[in-house]
Amino acid sequence: MSAPFEISRIAAHAASPMGEWLGFSGETDGESAVYKLAFSEEHIGNPMIRALHGGVIAAFLEFAMQADLAARLEAGAPISTATMAIDYLASSRAEDMRARVRIMRLGRRIAFLEATGWQADEAQPVAIGRASLRIG
Amino acid sequence: MIESPPTGLAAEINPAIRGMMRAARDMLQHEHSLLGSLGFKPLLLGAGKTSFSLDLPARFGDGSGMIHGGFLTVVLDSLFGLTVFTAMEEFKPIATINLRTDYIKEAAAGSRVICDSVCEGVRNEVAYVSGRLTLDADKSLIAIASGAFMVGTKGPAKGSRL
Repeated sequence: MSAPFEISRIAAHAASPMGEWLGFSGETDGESAVYKLAFSEEHIGNPMIRALHGGVIAAFLEFAMQADLAARLEAGAPISTATMAIDYLASSRAEDMRARVRIMRLGRRIAFLEATGWQADEAQPVAIGRASLRIG
Repeated sequence: MIESPPTGLAAEINPAIRGMMRAARDMLQHEHSLLGSLGFKPLLLGAGKTSFSLDLPARFGDGSGMIHGGFLTVVLDSLFGLTVFTAMEEFKPIATINLRTDYIKEAAAGSRVICDSVCEGVRNEVAYVSGRLTLDADKSLIAIASGAFMVGTKGPAKGSRL
């Protein structure tokens, strides 16, 4: 079921309503892909705190992991999230976020992934997400 | 589904917290914020225990007519935070430390869901919350989740949230 990594396979994902709401995009950066959340005012949870809503960060990292898996599977392979977990390492700002995804194991039915999200500095991540994604 | 509030917590929300929640509600209704636009309807507000209903907006769809799971995390994170506030004796800022969601079933755009959550306890300024999302129509389970929240954060302006 797995196929060579092909970033163009995230297109259908990014074009979904949720993908558009997140302002989601991805591009390859040398060896791995970098995914992006394009900031919009709607991503702020509490107007008194100019930061991304924690749930929006989780949604972006989950989205990035789904997209990254889609880019590694044959076109159209069905993917759904079984479990998503996130740790919030630092406060976020009202600006774009980027993420890099690592595949811990790509099984036949389940893939285990980890996504690291950052804003100003990749060395100081804002959040780390882990997901178990069901294939098929 | 949801047990009675954890022992050690007042059954009624502390008056100071209730006033704060009313102010927060008014603010959210008048600001064009994400939470203000979602239209959460409170069904139950007790100390350390809340229940809300929500119609899932199509703009959070996954492209197949179903709601993307990431949006359910937005709902859970918001309502879990609110549930932590209901359990507090005085207002303190909070921050999510972590959150875990198991997706049991997909929910269609436009469907009405119920989010029940309970603050299970607070230890060393960490509040633990668990909850579930069910479909209002047939009460079937959509997702279960649990999270930990830091109570008494300094706020983002001062750097670290934890």
